[in-house]
This record gives sequence, structure tokens and C-alpha cells, in this order.
Amino acid sequence: MKIGIDFGTSNSGAAFFDGQRVHILPLDPQNIQPEVVKTVLYITRDQQASIGQQAVESYYRDNVNRQRRFVKQWAGEIDYRGADMHYVRDIFVYVDELTPGRLLQYLKTALRKENYAGTQIFERFYTPGDLAQSYLTLLRQRAENALGKKINAATFGRPVKFAPTPAGDRRAEETLRAAAHAAGFEQVDFELEPVAAALDYAQTLSQPQTALIFDFGGGTLDIAIMRLGAGEAQTLASGGVDLAGSDFDRAIIAKRMLPHFGLGKIQHQPEILEMIQAVPDWMSLPNLATPFNRNLLEKAIRAKLAPARLQALQALIYNDLAFTFYNRVEAAKIALSSEGATAISLDDKNIALWELYTRWQFEADLADYVARVETVILETLAAAGLEAGQVDAVVKTGGSSSIPLFTARLAHLFGAEKIKTASAFSSVAAGLAIKAGK
Amino acid sequence: MSFSDKIDEWIKEAETRPASALTILKLVANRLRDLSARNEELLAENIALQNETRVQDYQKRIVHLEYQLDLLKRRAVQGTLDETPGAETPRYLLACNAAGRVLRLPLNDAPPTGWQLQGEAVLSGEWPRLQSAAEDEDLLALFSSGRVESCRLADIPTAPGSALRWEEAALPLAPRAGEALAALMPLARLPLSDFFTQASRRGMVKKTPVSLAESILSKHFIGRGALEKTDQPFAIALTQKNGRVALVSYEGRLAGMAVGDLSFTMEERLRLSATDFIVAASVFDEEALLICVTQNGKIISRPAGSVELAKGGGRGQALIPPARLTSGTRFIGALATHKGDRLAALDANGAIRLHDVETVTGAGMLPAAAPLLSLGLIPA
Repeated sequence: MKIGIDFGTSNSGAAFFDGQRVHILPLDPQNIQPEVVKTVLYITRDQQASIGQQAVESYYRDNVNRQRRFVKQWAGEIDYRGADMHYVRDIFVYVDELTPGRLLQYLKTALRKENYAGTQIFERFYTPGDLAQSYLTLLRQRAENALGKKINAATFGRPVKFAPTPAGDRRAEETLRAAAHAAGFEQVDFELEPVAAALDYAQTLSQPQTALIFDFGGGTLDIAIMRLGAGEAQTLASGGVDLAGSDFDRAIIAKRMLPHFGLGKIQHQPEILEMIQAVPDWMSLPNLATPFNRNLLEKAIRAKLAPARLQALQALIYNDLAFTFYNRVEAAKIALSSEGATAISLDDKNIALWELYTRWQFEADLADYVARVETVILETLAAAGLEAGQVDAVVKTGGSSSIPLFTARLAHLFGAEKIKTASAFSSVAAGLAIKAGK
Repeated sequence: MSFSDKIDEWIKEAETRPASALTILKLVANRLRDLSARNEELLAENIALQNETRVQDYQKRIVHLEYQLDLLKRRAVQGTLDETPGAETPRYLLACNAAGRVLRLPLNDAPPTGWQLQGEAVLSGEWPRLQSAAEDEDLLALFSSGRVESCRLADIPTAPGSALRWEEAALPLAPRAGEALAALMPLARLPLSDFFTQASRRGMVKKTPVSLAESILSKHFIGRGALEKTDQPFAIALTQKNGRVALVSYEGRLAGMAVGDLSFTMEERLRLSATDFIVAASVFDEEALLICVTQNGKIISRPAGSVELAKGGGRGQALIPPARLTSGTRFIGALATHKGDRLAALDANGAIRLHDVETVTGAGMLPAAAPLLSLGLIPA
């Protein structure tokens, strides 16, 4: 049996086409939307993996406000060679030996990072392909449970621009293909994600039309201009850019939340400033949880250098609150798609943040990105040899496509009446299922 | 970015989308409410710091830790300190009667079918009382005259086997002529507590500051805690100043009260009918589940949060419906329980059985072959 799998940066999904209609598979019953499974992987010390909401819950249960015990471990050595001297110096790192597990996010982004070899998770080193394989194995099992049949083939979605360079692009696709094979999919093929969304949209058409698919998800913006309907699905041009929801989250944190952790108050402590500047990158936060940094922060707090803010920073780093914090920021971003204002708040042990955030502020923070998005739309139109007026419909899909600022820009470029909204999280999976079914 | 810049940005949002103004107003108002509540807490904390009551709290904690350390040292000196780290001190169930007889029953080595008390269980109309304590604890005995005595649990011999007789029980604290043993209380938490709280059979309650403990113990007197001659002291417990106490009566009345509201002199906190009397006085916290048990083993449970705290005396809340009261249903005891606790129950045949609180509250029934007489809590 063959299904379509949308392996997204933030969320994933799978669907099956029976020749008549598409069935979106409920892969994560614990999630509010069971047909969407978060692209997060939690690996415990005994190498047990879990995905989706189960992974998130395991992470919270095992990690938040837990005890830590740092031990010094030999990590390697550095060879110093001068004109007439040569010496070797040992390098040690502090490792928290009580870490019960690691939570990994943005697995798809890892596939395209050329300088990212992988990560050591307890006793085992995981390459980006290994991480994707672990995730896809569990995804396949869940899909098989939902369907009650064995699944041995899948059509995977892929971004138009998987990586910045053509070689990187090929490598990322091959890594994902190998991971999918290792995860138990004997037959694997790919389709561009916006093309898949277009196939789903084409099901609703009664006459041919030219559509621009605007697939704006958690990791990338993908655009395809296609001639659809009457049994045809011809791609006129496609384009993409490495920009999406996770970049907006980082922008919000960098522009609005860092003062809560001491930015602006801390002036002459470069090590502490470095820690504050690392906050937008949540993957790097666990690496900051060292005894040296704790000592540094405690000294600064005792010296009354923005003590409440530095204590919040300490709590964020050492109480494993980063994931919660990022979720709150993401939730605020999502809320601003329907509300004019929201509050980003986090109240936990030694941390009490509250920031009123309005859509006006959000749009101001995204100003730089709007120009990039418009550029890629216009470039793709030019590649298709079309004027904006020749596009009959603009189909939005992906979580970030709900941001009103981008809807307004699309309406400005193409006309509000041409904007069509596809299901944000399942239209790509549905289109992939149609492709797989054919 | 300064705060006034932020406010300018909020105003811009309200100007761009007037509907957002209401959302912003709501969010700011909610925040103000939260901050106001927090401000009040901080002011209270500040007052506590300025009045040095916080210092006293820390001193009490230090005294308690010193006491614990002292206990550990004593065990180490006696060679009883377990080699396995984290090993628990053995706990015992204590069954005592009004004549001052105390049976020490090992909980770690309890017979599977419980214990069997032979002979008369009830003495002078007073049912035996059940209580648990750790081996290294000291016990405080309160007598009906208001006299108190203390002794070490370790000095009371363990009752052998499962067949028990009062005649063979230890008499560590013999009542004087005309006296009866009213209550037995472990003292380990004394340095961490704020008050001794006493309750009488007729619903009188009073508290005594723990700071007077030295004088109470040296003079062996705390007072009866009862006004009328016919009234008897019933219970004594160590409580915190922000603690709560629940009184439960034989005829199904429940009264909750905050320790902070209690008087230092005797005060009637539960007005009882002529035939009614107190069967339980439990100290409880927010997480506790209060379970009241009838003589037939039927359990009526109330989460701690639902127990109303009365400021003065009153008739309390009726837990037994009038129809059942008429048909003879009565409470024999009540306990403030937590997850993992066990309870011991003594029935009229003299059988003492142990039960998991979760199991019996789940079933709503305490299995017993004969009417129940007394309950005791065994904390997890």
C-alpha cells in the first residue's frame, strides 16, 4: 500500500487516496488536531524514541525542573604547533549525567544543513538521516495502525528549494530517501510540496485555471505556478526561499523578549551577553547549561546586575523551560492571525515573563521578510512568463500562510477575490496521497 | 526599547484596528489584577521580614533540622543506622486504651490477616484509639485531667504475634487515680509546628503556642481543653498557623476551621446535640481527602477544598441524611488522607485490619465482619 507523507518542519501528516477520495490519517490521537503530528522526536537514555504529542509529554514529564549533575568528560585534544614548539592539550566538557532524554525539533532543517554532521545522543551518534529514520519509522507504524494495513511505499513531499545549493538540494533529498527506505518504505518517490497542494486543490476545479500555490510552512516558503484542471497539472514555474514560521518566532524573541533576560541592562559581561543572544536559538540552549555559566549567572545575580532578569535566564536554561517558552511565542504568533493583540507569558519557578504583543508590532517585526517573500513571488511569476493578472487563483496552504500580513500582500498583488485557502496542515499530505494513488 | 515606546506601539495597533483596543484593554486589566495580587503577597512578605517573623520561621526550621540530625546521631550511636541509604525507620501502629495500655504493632511485619484483640475492647465507654508512629519518635500522652507525659516509642515493647491482650500490653504512662488516657501524639514535628491544638468530646477547641512547649513538658500540664465537668479532652495535634482542622461528630456533623482563627482559650467550635460527641479531630491540608466512616464501614469522602472553614461556632455541615440518622447510622471516625496512605480499622470483634485508602475510598466501603469502633491513619 502506498500513502502520501508530508514530512514538515514543524508538523507532519499522512494521507491515503482510495481512488475516489482522500483520507487524512489520524496519526496523533493525543493532539488537538489528530491528523497533524508534530515533527518532534524524543529519544531517551535507553534509546527509546517517541514522536508528536507523546514526545512532548514525555519531555515535560522527564525534564522540567529536574535535578542535574554535571560531570567532566574528556572530549578530545587540541594540537598546538608553533615555530619550534608542539604541545597537545586535553579538552573537557561538562555533561549532565542525569539527562533522561533529548527532544529534537526541526529534523527537516537538519537534513539541508551542509555543516551539520549529527548529534551524540547518549551512547549513539545520530546523523540527520538517522534522526529522520527514527521519526519516519514511528510515523509509518502509526499510519499502519490507523489504516490497519501494511504500508510499504510512500510519496514524500519536498520543498522546492531543499537547500541553498543544487548539490545540497540533491544530498538532502537523497538523505531523506535513504532514511525513508531504512524506515521500512520499500518504494519512495518525491513530489514538490506546492505541486502536491495544487493536486489537492485541482480536485475542486470544474474548469482549467492557472493557480499560484503559496505553501508557507514552518521551515520554507514554496511557490509553484501551475496550469490545473481538466485532468492536467502542468508546472509552469516553481520557486522557494529558506524562510518561514520558525524565523518569525526567532524574530519575535530577538526583538521583543530578550530584554526580559537582561538585554539592555547587561553591558560589560560578554559571556552573559552571549548567553542572552543565544536565547532565540532554542537548540543551543541545552549547551549553555554548564556549571561555569551557572556560576557566572549566580555571581551576577549576587552583584545585583539585573537580578530578576538574569534569574529568569537561569531558569530558562537550567529548568528546561526553553521548549515551553518557544511554544508560548509560537502560540502568540498564531493568535495574532485572528486577534489584534495577545500576551506572551511564562510563569514558572523563578521566571515570570509577560509581554503584550500586538499585530502592529508583529507586522513591524516582519517588515524585512515581506520584501523577501514578494521578491520570490515576482521571480516565480517571471520564470513562468506570466503577469500577476494572468493568475486565476492563489492557493494558500501551510501554517504561516494564515498570517494576515502575507494574505494582504497576496491580495495586493493578485486581488483579494483570487485568494483561496486550502487546509493549512493537510492539503500537502492530501495532494501527495493523490500522487501516490495515481 | 523604552516602555513608553511600547505604549506608543499599542496605541498604533488600536488606531489601525480599533477592535484591538478592547483586547489590549482586557489584557492590560488582567495583568494589573495579577500584579496587584502579587504586590499584596510581596507586601505581606515584606511585613513578615520587617517583623522578623520570617527569621523565626527559619529558626524553627533550623531547630527541626537539628532535631532530625540529633535523631540520626542517636540511631547511629545505637548502631541502628541502616547501612542501606534511604532505608526507612520502621513504623508501628499503636493501639491504646483509656487505662493507658499501649500495644506496639509492627507495620513492616504485619500479619496478613491483621491482629486480633482478645477480651473487652471498650473500656469505661471509651473505644481504643489507633495511631501510627516511627520507631525513633517521642510520644506525648494527654490525660483527662489535662496532664501530659512524654515517653520514647522505643521504650514500649513490641507486641508479639497477632493475638493481643490488653492485660499483656505495656503501661508506659500510667494514668493517675481518676484519670484516663485521652490522646497520644508523636512529637517529631514539634519544632516545625506553631501550635498544640486540642479538641474536646463536646466540640471545644483551643490552641497553645509551641513556644510554651518547654514549660508544658517540664510542668507536665497543658490543660483539659474542656469547660464542663462532664466533657473530656479528646484529641491533641501539632498544627501550623496556616493549618486547618476538621471536627467530625458521632451524629454526622462536620466543621472545618482555620488554626489562625482559633482562640487560645477554650471555645465551642461545633455546637452538638445532647447525645452527640466528637469522634475525630483531623488536621488537614489542601490536597487531603477527608474520609468519614460509619459503624458499618460506609465511607463518605470530601475533598479538603470543599470543607468550609467556619469563623465561629456553629452546627457544622450535616453529612448523614436525617433518614439514615433515624435508622441508626453514625460516624465512628474520620481521617484526612493522601494518596498512598493506609488506614487501620478496629471492629467490635477486636480485629485490627489494614486497608489501602485508595482501595477503600474507590469502593466507598470499608470491609468489616462486625461494627467498626476505631480508625487510625498510617501515612505513606
